Amino acid sequence: MKLSESRFGFLLSFPGLLVIILLSFFPTIMLFITSFLRYDNINPITFCAFENYEKMLNDPLFLPSLEKTLVFTFGTTSLTFCVGLILALCLSRITKYSGVFRILMLLPWAVPLVISGFIWKWIFDPVYGVINYLLIKIGLLANPINIFSDPNLAMIGVIVADSWVRIPFMCVILLAGFESIPQDLYEAAKVDGANAFQTFRYISLPLAMPAMATGLMITSMFSFRTIDVICSMTKGGPARATYVIGYFLQDQLYRTLNFGYLSALGIIMLFLQLAIISIFIYYLFKR
Amino acid sequence: MKKITAIIYKAIEYHFTPYLVFILIISILLFPIVWMFITALKPLSETFIYPPTIIPEKLTFSAFEEVLFKSPIPQNILNSLIITITNVIITTFFAFFVACGISKYRYKGSKNVLFLFLFSRIIPPLALLIPYYILLTSLKLINTLNGLIVINFYICFPLAVWILKSFIDDFPQDLIDAARIDGCSRIGIIFRIMIPLLATSIAATAIIVFLWTWNEFIFAAMFTHTREVQPLTVGIYYFVGDEYVDWPRLSATAIIATIPGIIFLIMAQKYIIKGLIAGAIKK
Repeated sequence: MKLSESRFGFLLSFPGLLVIILLSFFPTIMLFITSFLRYDNINPITFCAFENYEKMLNDPLFLPSLEKTLVFTFGTTSLTFCVGLILALCLSRITKYSGVFRILMLLPWAVPLVISGFIWKWIFDPVYGVINYLLIKIGLLANPINIFSDPNLAMIGVIVADSWVRIPFMCVILLAGFESIPQDLYEAAKVDGANAFQTFRYISLPLAMPAMATGLMITSMFSFRTIDVICSMTKGGPARATYVIGYFLQDQLYRTLNFGYLSALGIIMLFLQLAIISIFIYYLFKR
Repeated sequence: MKKITAIIYKAIEYHFTPYLVFILIISILLFPIVWMFITALKPLSETFIYPPTIIPEKLTFSAFEEVLFKSPIPQNILNSLIITITNVIITTFFAFFVACGISKYRYKGSKNVLFLFLFSRIIPPLALLIPYYILLTSLKLINTLNGLIVINFYICFPLAVWILKSFIDDFPQDLIDAARIDGCSRIGIIFRIMIPLLATSIAATAIIVFLWTWNEFIFAAMFTHTREVQPLTVGIYYFVGDEYVDWPRLSATAIIATIPGIIFLIMAQKYIIKGLIAGAIKK
């Protein structure tokens, strides 16, 4: 039997296609359906239209968790971006031992997120933590602070622990963006007498913009969906200060077993993610 | 005022400045890892004294010994290895053929297939917690290694396709055409030409999938209940007690959990970076 080129291509990707439809699209459709069902493992399953969504709007946990999610995502993304940008700018000018420096920069990426939460929890420990000790010794603090009892500080703590793991990836993407800029542009700028800030503002920044948008998109996408750090560091506390929507979802699963309601939450999570992504996609494709 | 800014610009442009700034930031970034090592080398009693000792007074490897010989952690390591290695093999295998089909043998709708994979990468896996819970329960896969393999496969598969696709896009078409003229079959081209020549790219993808699976936590925490099937990321909770956390042994476990990533980074840093960029930037 003779197969045409395109038939062969389809045959090659068919098994994978089948698998992804089964594992990704089928559950998504299921999620849509169950979000419209009264499915709480107590009463028989019945159709209930938008009841789950109505209940969600009246849930005192829902809107605060949405706010926490946005703060967490925005905080992580901006901290990661700032540190990643500085590191990438340095690395793009480092010529000696650059291989060693790159490995050192990538090391936090190898740490699993849950473990990052544990490490930072230990570092921030209110009594035996090393941060308190060092800050008091330098004289920046008078008394040890307990970040796990202050809502705002706890949020900052999880943001630090989450960005710590994400900085290397951001740095790698930005560095690739900077390195794709032709070197003669910088030389021309130097000849014209541009200073460091002008070179950055008028050459590096605009030309590395797509890389920056990509890095920001992926970082915001992942910090939105991962709650590993919150699980090991604060468990949503104190007083639900770090109770983001993803944590809400997994925390309530075994507590309520209300599948219909939690599916509605999943749908909200899905659409929020699509909204965040589409901002970046719009920007990237507009160009 | 102008003088000051001029000095600042001069300082920024000075060739040694990037090294200085970089070393300053990187020493803050690496401090948690160093602190984890220091803690792992302390006896338990020394973690509960104030002020904390920067250099352990009693240097001891007992935490590592106890983790490896007197705790259920080896079982967790084994589970993690089983899940991860199985998933790496399945994911890379399927993803390679999909990417091959999309990239080199375009067919009607191959663009849509690619979009499908992109879209399924955008869906947050956590949003699908309920459907997966229902599915895995009805298939009796809750609290089994197979269930976790399925989940991890779902999480890594679109990414792997995406990375491999951009690698295969760079593969010269001339080589395929030349082999075709010499009478090599299409399957032969894939196995005799593409796979050997793309070996490093496939390895890079496999490493990234390995680390993703190795680090996966949330689904493992939700869908396993007994120590016999829990991977390392969940097993580490063994040292979190109600009264206190056993920091030295937890740190020792954390180091063990980080070792694969560090080994891969040192071995294949260049290829991992290439793979990460390929997965992020669309061609």
